[in-house]
This record gives sequence, structure tokens and C-alpha cells, in this order.
Amino acid sequence: MTAEATPKEIMACVIARDLADGEWVEVGANLPVPRAGALLAHLHHGPNMNVMLAMTKAWVHDQPAIEDFEFITDVRAMRWAEAYYEHDRLLSNMRFRRKGVFFCGGIEIDRFGNSNLIGVGADHRRLAFRGPGAIGTCNATVYNGRYHLVTTSHSRRVLVERCSFVSALGFGDGAPGLRERLKLPGAGPRYIITPLCVFDFDPDTNAARLKSLNPGVTLEQVREQTGFEFLAPREPPATQPPTEEELNILRTRIDRAGALRR
Amino acid sequence: MRDEGAGHDRQGRRPVVETEAVAAARIRDGMTIAVGGFINTGHPMAIVRQVIRNRVRDLTVVGAASAGLDVDLLIAAGCAGRVIAPYVGAEGLAPIGPAFQTAAQAGEIEVWELDEAMYYAGLRAAAQGLPFNPWRAGVGTSYPEVNPDLVEFDDPVRGERLLAVPAIEVDVALLHAARSDVFGNVQHNGTGYGDRAIYAAADLTVVSVERLVSVEEIRRSPAATTVPGADAVVRAPFGAHPFSSDGHYPVDVSALQEYVTAARALRDGDRGPVERYLETYVYEPETHLDYLERVGLKRLLALSEY
Repeated sequence: MTAEATPKEIMACVIARDLADGEWVEVGANLPVPRAGALLAHLHHGPNMNVMLAMTKAWVHDQPAIEDFEFITDVRAMRWAEAYYEHDRLLSNMRFRRKGVFFCGGIEIDRFGNSNLIGVGADHRRLAFRGPGAIGTCNATVYNGRYHLVTTSHSRRVLVERCSFVSALGFGDGAPGLRERLKLPGAGPRYIITPLCVFDFDPDTNAARLKSLNPGVTLEQVREQTGFEFLAPREPPATQPPTEEELNILRTRIDRAGALRR
Repeated sequence: MRDEGAGHDRQGRRPVVETEAVAAARIRDGMTIAVGGFINTGHPMAIVRQVIRNRVRDLTVVGAASAGLDVDLLIAAGCAGRVIAPYVGAEGLAPIGPAFQTAAQAGEIEVWELDEAMYYAGLRAAAQGLPFNPWRAGVGTSYPEVNPDLVEFDDPVRGERLLAVPAIEVDVALLHAARSDVFGNVQHNGTGYGDRAIYAAADLTVVSVERLVSVEEIRRSPAATTVPGADAVVRAPFGAHPFSSDGHYPVDVSALQEYVTAARALRDGDRGPVERYLETYVYEPETHLDYLERVGLKRLLALSEY
């Protein structure tokens, strides 16, 4: 019998189950949980998925184990490449992104699914906390068919009522139809995936609402650690724990070094 | 590095091979430079260290689409007044560049905020000789507020709300690549990330390379030539150290960590460790070869990609 799944392994399974065969999934730098989720979907039920791995388009369905490298530019991960991700040609390849799924982090994520990687503070010229910068999240959350917000830190500091700055637009201030009015091709965020739970978004108010609680987590605990108000079912369902097969793939083929078990 | 290929009749064709000192002398106070590579790979560090050694000030530094600690080092050394980069950091080693973060919070540098699509839109506008490139992503976000140079407008064809991204015009591009001939035909291993876009946006391009090769070698695979007209080529084996150089060596993690540890002291207002780092690895070694000697042959040759 396998040991109990860790919160990050549960997150990877939530990501994997949402991905369908045939989709394109882009995995950015320094994101071990989305990487594991995308690869799990690919190995488990996605022989026709294309995984953008280490700046390449890769197909690793037949690989016994996919080594995890510390840096996205490690050429050892490029041995699976069927094509390079030509970064300088980024702007010329937006039409295809409608088939794509993306994962977006944030130093702040708010109840309307906006994300902030710029910084925290009132004045942009004198931020209290300077963030890393948006990287490609502003763009990828607009052009990909859909995306998930992912954070490994479920806290009031990260999950806030309103972001100090919005670098990746979710549903703005929640007013209906914003993305359509702005003619944004992507549908916007579907879930907020955290170590404690999964949120989705109410189709009428565009506000985050509790979808499921991860095994062993209580609603009180989530309310305590979340910086925004959210609706929740009276009896919140439990996030389906990883199956033995999923855990086995994760631990023997995707995450042998145990990044999700730390 | 003179007289490469001596003995061949060049019929007046001018080689562009220079030392890093000569190449970097183009960069003067107040200019806009762009530094190629991508996060932890492919930064032209032999040239970057020379720029720092020259104590150039008030530069606008255009980093890579995801810039690394190359830009952080330029900030730590006091060379940068303004930074244009969608990200500055080193992935898990330093998720946010320590000097970048400290200087931005203190208001010591101006950050021209943008994401990577706006970055390429701005470079492309410069390459095309246009005042701006339109882009869609960014409308409805905080970008026009935190960077007033980004202007929302209604497009005259379909009436859609778009963002005008001004041209990012680069005085001197600094790149690192695998090889070049003496005439500035440069080839990268792999894709070269955003280096071609930077080259196209720049008035002048200086490229450090792992190897100088014959024109015949370049002509065997002309499709691999990424920069067909570098203005200067600097022969710099291990020229991206401590970052990786695709096809040559991986990241020297402990060397990068040494910098990160020094730069993190800036958060506590302590410049001592970073000054000592700069003395040891930048100011005291007078040339790139002196730098490599300081790092040490054993350590350099211990780096291996497989």
C-alpha cells in the first residue's frame, strides 16, 4: 500500500484530471506542481497531449521516468524535444493557444481570479514588497483557452480580497462580461488550486466559491486562512484523493526526487 | 585575438573580433543596453563584467524576456538606473533577484513594468522602425497605470481596445552564443531564446562566443546562423559563467549561490558582501581570462552537462 498522498500530490492530481487528451499544456519555470500535473495527465490518459517542457514541445508518454531538472533551460531536458519553443517568435503563435491550458501563480490572487506578480504596496515606485514580475502570465492568461490559478501557499497574504496590482486579468472587479467586452479569446480562470482546497468561480458573480476540500481539511480552516469571503456548500464535497495508479505514476515516473513530498 | 585566419586572402573583408575591453568601450553612461540569454543561461558575462569594471552609470538595462542575475549584478554594481524586464531572478535559486528587489523597493531603480509579450512587441516595434506595436493582453490590467508609457487605445479597424507598446530601442545589444566566424556570423546552440529579437531591435550588437570557427564551418549550416551581422565578436570560452551555455556547460550552481548569498545581505542594508564579491570576481580580474583563472581550471572543467 502506498503512503498517504501529500497536499502537493493532491494538487497535481486535480490538475491532471482536468486535462483532456489532445490538449496543449505549457509548463513554466519553477512550477513543480503544474509540471507534475501536466505530465501525470499525459502519462495517465493523454497520449495525444503536447507538453511544452523545458522550452520544447515534448512527447514523453513512453518514457519510463521523466527526470526533473532544476532549471527550465537545462539542455538535458531537451532530448525529448520534437520542436523548440522559439521564444522570440512568441507573438506570432497566439492563434494556436486556444487549444492550450496554462497555470498561473501569484504573490497575490484575489476573489475574482486576478493575479499579481508585480508587487505589494500603494505606490508602484516605492513598493513594500517587490515581486518577480509577470513573466508571461499577463499574455498566457489572455490567449490560452483556459487556465488555473495555482498557489502552494494558502494564506491570507496570498488569497486576498483585491490584488494591489493586477498583472494577469481574471474577472476584473467581477462585473459580468468583462472578458467578452475586451474581446479576450480565453475563457479565464477555472479553478484556484491550493494545498487545502479547490475553488471555482460563480458564473453569475465571477467570485471564487469553494468547490471541494482536500482530504483532512475543514471548512473553518479554509475560512481562517483565506483573505476573502467565499460561498461554500453546506456540506462541501471532498477532493477525490489520488488513486494508487496516479500516485504510482507520480512517484516512480514523474517525481522520483520527491519535490511534491517535501 | 588578432589575425584569426591569417594567411587567407580576405580581399578586404574586415574581421570584427575584439577583446572584451574594446567591445565594451562602446557602452557609455546613459545608454540603453540589452542583455541576452534566458534566466540561468546564455548571458554574455565576460562583457557584462567589463561594463561593470568600466563603472558605467545610469544605464537603461533591457534584460531577457526572463532576465537572470546578470541584470541583478548590474543593479548591485550601480550601473542600472532603469530596468526593462518582465522577470528578474534565478528560478528556485533566487525566485526574485535580490538586488533588483532591494533597489526597486528603495526607489533606486525605475522599473519599466511589462510582461513578456509586451517585451517582444516593444522590441519588434524598434526592429520595424515603428513608434509602437499593438497588443491585446494587458488591457484591463494595472499595466497602463504602473507604466504610463503603455497606452490603451481603440483600434481604427475593428474598434477593439488594445495596448500601444512603445518601441524599445536598444543602443547596444550584448549576446552570448556558441560560435561565430571572424566576420560576425553567429550561431547559437538550441533556439537562442530571445536573442534574435534583441539583435533586431539594436543599433549595435556585440556577441561573445565559446568558439571562433572558420567561415567554412558556418557555411555548412547557414540556416543555423542566428545573428548574421554582429558588429563585434569577443572570443570568450566559459563566457557565460556562472550561467550555463547551451551545448557547452551547465549552471555553476555554487558560484551562483555565492552571488545570491552576497546580494541577499543588501536586504539588511549591508553592502559589504556584494562589494567583496565585485572586488573578487569583477574589479580585480582585469580581463575575462583573469576571471577564469580566479574561478580556477579544476572547477571550470568539472562542469559537465551529462
